[in-house]
Amino acid sequence: MSKLHELNERVLAAREEVERRGETFYPGPSRIHLASFPPKERWDDWIELDSRAWPQRVEHRYMLVPTTCFNCESACGLLAYVDRESGQVRKFEGNPEHPGSRGRNCAKGPATLNQITDPDRILYPLKRAGKRGEGRWVQVSWNEALEDIAGRIRKAIQEDRHNEVMYHVGRSGEDGYTERILAAWGVDGHNSHTNVCSSSARAGYQWWMGLYRPSPVFANERVIVLVSAHLETGHYFNPHAQRVVEAKKNGAKLIVFDTRLSNTATHADHWLASYPGSEAAIFLAVANHLIRHNLYNREFVRRWWNWEEYLEADHPDLDRTFENFERVLKEIYREYTFEFAARESGIDADVLRQIADIVATAGTRLATHNWRSAGAGNRGGWQVARTLFLLNALMGAIATEGGTYPSAWNKFVPKPIYTPPHPKVWNDLTWPIEYPLAMNELSFLLPHFLKTGRGRLDVYFTRVYNPVWTNPDGFSWIDMLTDETLVGLHVALTPTWNETAYFADYVLPMGLGSERHDLHSYETHNAQWIAFRQPVLRAMRERLGERVTDTREVNPGEVWEENEFWIDLTWRIDPDGSLGIRKFVESKERPGEKLGIDEYYAYAFEHSVPGLPERAAAEGLTPLEYMRRYGAFEVQAGIGAIYEQEVPRDDLEDVREDRFGRIYTSVPQPQSPNIAPQAAPEPDADGRRPVGVTVDGKILRGFPTPSGRLEFYSHTLAEWGWAEYALPTYIKSHVHPDYLDHDQMVLISTFRLPVHIHTRSANSKWLDEIAHTNPLWIHPTDAARVGVRTGQLVRVETEIGHFVVKAWVTEGIRPGVVACSHHMGRWKLTGDGQRQLMATVDLQQHGSERGIKRQRGAGPYPSSDPDTLRIWWKDVGVHQNLTFPVHPDPISGQHCWHQAVRVRTAGPGDAYGDIAVDVAKSHEVYEKWLAMARGAERHSPDRTRRPFWLMRPLKPAKEFFRLPDTPEPATHGAK
Amino acid sequence: MELFRALAVLAEPPRAETTRLADLLELGRAPTPDEYTELFLFQLYPYASVYLGPEGMLGGEARDRVAGFWRALGEVPPTEPDHLAVLLALYARLADAERGEPDPTRRSACRRARAALLWEHLLSWLPVYLSKLIEIAPPPYASWGRLLDGTLAAEAKSIPPPARLPLQLREAPALSNPRIDDLDTYLSELLAPVRSGVIVTRADLARAARALALGLRTGERRFVLQSLVNQDARGMIDWLGREVTAWGERHAAWEDYLGGISRFWAQRAQHTADTLQTLCREESGSRAVG
Repeated sequence: MSKLHELNERVLAAREEVERRGETFYPGPSRIHLASFPPKERWDDWIELDSRAWPQRVEHRYMLVPTTCFNCESACGLLAYVDRESGQVRKFEGNPEHPGSRGRNCAKGPATLNQITDPDRILYPLKRAGKRGEGRWVQVSWNEALEDIAGRIRKAIQEDRHNEVMYHVGRSGEDGYTERILAAWGVDGHNSHTNVCSSSARAGYQWWMGLYRPSPVFANERVIVLVSAHLETGHYFNPHAQRVVEAKKNGAKLIVFDTRLSNTATHADHWLASYPGSEAAIFLAVANHLIRHNLYNREFVRRWWNWEEYLEADHPDLDRTFENFERVLKEIYREYTFEFAARESGIDADVLRQIADIVATAGTRLATHNWRSAGAGNRGGWQVARTLFLLNALMGAIATEGGTYPSAWNKFVPKPIYTPPHPKVWNDLTWPIEYPLAMNELSFLLPHFLKTGRGRLDVYFTRVYNPVWTNPDGFSWIDMLTDETLVGLHVALTPTWNETAYFADYVLPMGLGSERHDLHSYETHNAQWIAFRQPVLRAMRERLGERVTDTREVNPGEVWEENEFWIDLTWRIDPDGSLGIRKFVESKERPGEKLGIDEYYAYAFEHSVPGLPERAAAEGLTPLEYMRRYGAFEVQAGIGAIYEQEVPRDDLEDVREDRFGRIYTSVPQPQSPNIAPQAAPEPDADGRRPVGVTVDGKILRGFPTPSGRLEFYSHTLAEWGWAEYALPTYIKSHVHPDYLDHDQMVLISTFRLPVHIHTRSANSKWLDEIAHTNPLWIHPTDAARVGVRTGQLVRVETEIGHFVVKAWVTEGIRPGVVACSHHMGRWKLTGDGQRQLMATVDLQQHGSERGIKRQRGAGPYPSSDPDTLRIWWKDVGVHQNLTFPVHPDPISGQHCWHQAVRVRTAGPGDAYGDIAVDVAKSHEVYEKWLAMARGAERHSPDRTRRPFWLMRPLKPAKEFFRLPDTPEPATHGAK
Repeated sequence: MELFRALAVLAEPPRAETTRLADLLELGRAPTPDEYTELFLFQLYPYASVYLGPEGMLGGEARDRVAGFWRALGEVPPTEPDHLAVLLALYARLADAERGEPDPTRRSACRRARAALLWEHLLSWLPVYLSKLIEIAPPPYASWGRLLDGTLAAEAKSIPPPARLPLQLREAPALSNPRIDDLDTYLSELLAPVRSGVIVTRADLARAARALALGLRTGERRFVLQSLVNQDARGMIDWLGREVTAWGERHAAWEDYLGGISRFWAQRAQHTADTLQTLCREESGSRAVG
């Protein structure tokens, strides 16, 4: 053996031995690997020098404890650097063990440190002392608050008033925990923010494939099309942005649709500032180009589209051959020429042709993404995502390397210790009869529903959510929350003060990212992973041998976490188990005792995460210890095209095939440890479940749609009263030029600021210093017409009122369009609140008129943090959302955010931050949009409230899908 | 190929793990952070572009060619694609990929990629670099340099050289003819190894100053060299000539396994020696006229 060979073998053996112990052999050199991180075997005792002590060498010894960020939805991995001496977190950095974020974070992750040390945060349970909204509070014990709330809920359940209990959540940041709590109570009380966020995009994807999110495999694409500011602020933007940039380095072309010159647009190879709402017209023109020039993936379309179903429905006179379909397909989109799209979008036809040619080169490496943006802005915005995905469907770029995956295939939700049954009730306040096809709860219509006598709420939770500030028509929310006949008890679960919490009866302090447990998984790339948010001080103490059974023991003040809170509350609702509720929060290890958090998560990690027990055992850890130590686990990578997989023979018994090849089986659904949500196509008439679809003589898994294929044609939409939209098509937006007066412009209000995230980040001083205002973007030609310069005040008039804001004249916005970020304009009524980023205001009311007058902006103040004396900014922006009426899309239910506005120079009586609204007008607009809906009572084909196969949070039991006057079971596939 | 990976890590700043690796590789002891800094940050910059680029600087076309190799592999080039540690780690990875590839066609492709990396981006400059490193480095790094040199030589003997010289060398411009009235350009080119065939470090310039009893000014190498020439042009040119001649002899020693590459460097050194003689004559002439 040569000397070199001997050395090679020696190093190799040493490496294998070290890595067998779960330790790191090589350091993480910055050049050889992604980045330099502390080796994980040294996380227990990591030494760093104190930079502020320089030139002295002062060492700090840390324990590094992983958790996940609680700001945006991405749930990027964080490593908390906990000082071993003081037991305090000194900083947050990235967790290299997190498969999604890979150790990288945006500004909001490290700023978690600001949030946990914020002097204005809420530390103790508070109960209102005066009238709602008066701003007087008394500290109460958790016991008092819990007994009061539990008693009311128990009474509501006992009196069969289940629909008077409602939980309203912003970004949940967890996968179904609270839904299961509500299911345990037997209430259909889940209300999400999603219909002011991403419902339309979700709907667009769902109609195609029964799965409601796109998961583009960004690192390997040839062409990327983003309908958003995705690189800087979009959904999962940090995990996605790092992969988009990798793709760009690999030569991928990036095409960005954004009316503003966002940071994302600046990175694009092609930036298209199309007229708002015209995006679908462009995508259809691109599709038409691909179809007419036979540039699409013909074989993929033949195999996977439900073209036979379409021919039978719309062309029954034609033979059901693919050649006939192709001939028809060429006609369907004939009118969508580049010239037509150019007229709609204002972008030159040659540019659009160039874009189409680029898309044509992508093959199966086409990644597309829309989440909010155009989808959220426009009536018919759901067709934006649907027509965008049409391009993937034409190219066969679905679940391919470099293509776009359906979300659920890149997501893993472990089956928990208990799965309570579906509620036996239907809540019309969240799922009203007018919107049978809505993607999510009609949450933003709640004030109007209560105002018009559709119901009342006895206990209403807002959970890290701020509808007064976030939702359109916030004054109607204030009216609702201050009326105790409409809302009996309002409980705000929040770490920080917000505009909604002022109108609560209880304000209960909940933990931030390093103070709470949550489990989640997101579709960041072609893999399935789980990540574990945890109270880092609890994890630290446990690693040091202590036993912690209540997170309040380690959190500041009496800050709690929600998991333990819900378990405790549920226990109190049914203390003796007589309601059948308590059993869902009872320990299996210690019957008769409350379920503990360790047992809850240990069960899931041990029983429902393939590979985790083995991986943990290899390091001498239990699965829970492994997750507490590393914070994340990749369950599977390289998922592949699941729809192309053959159905195993064991799943095929007593098989039936319908005339379009859908295969049904009598074999029961096998138990899966992964309960990631997806649509649930109905069984056949004899109760056999759909298991696959026949393609070229083989039974393949297909998609979770009624047909088992990609639904180019939606039988459901046609059947439920929207036949004109059964195919991907273009719907003119409510801000289409046809509907605007000559002096109106479009206001884009949906864009984020890269370092902020809605309500949640206002208590981050670093972020506040970077971004704290929201001027109105206006093009120089429009500014000249209006007669305004940068910094001058303008009055922006909407349908129901106006707001006064500063202008920012920029060529970074399309002429005829103005834009104002919704991330700013926070306000408070009294001294309480986030003083770093909230103006103090007066609320005004005269009849149906409401208003806000700003008293003062932000400013320096003494506190436990010396930095608050250094606050140099006063301007904290303007709360524009108050002046927007509700615009529910008649199909998706999404609020359509874009506004038709008039922009004028401010008058002598106008002052910065002024808001004026007429809530009577806002109700009129609500009624106008409500009239566009096509309700289930007239259009349901089977006397149900909603197609059962569609996704729906907290799905009630099937019999409760029946319309109220329909006693018989639904006719579709009765089990 | 774990040996390559371990050697790569030693071209990075020392960490706790470095001690274990130094022990495994029998380097005598682990290098210290100040030794690392002196060697890699002040004397011998561990980037291919410095030794293969016509400017003798970081980046430029030489680095682009290395980055192009990464892209040809279907990989995103790292921020410093031509850093020695990165290149060695990549070599180890390609060797592992080749060994683990069951398909003969793909395995052959892996081997071709490894051969290209070895001859185009490693052997084209590293023997020259390591020869200087072994000369000036403190003991652990000198041992490391000898081990890496021997490892590369073993690889070169196991993978036949391509028919043509590496592109980096084929495309490298030679030293321009010296002109006494444009000495700055010439001296700059002299500090670009691929043009001159020699590596002149800060330590070398300090040695020259000591030998010629000249004042050593602080600054970048070009500035230092200019100031030495300004003080004693003939003495410095003569000193450089002797250095270059010695380099010619070093290059010739690699002929048996580097073939054309060795000859390329030897020819460049010879050409430099010739131009220095020309310059020396010009300098003598100008002094005689003056």
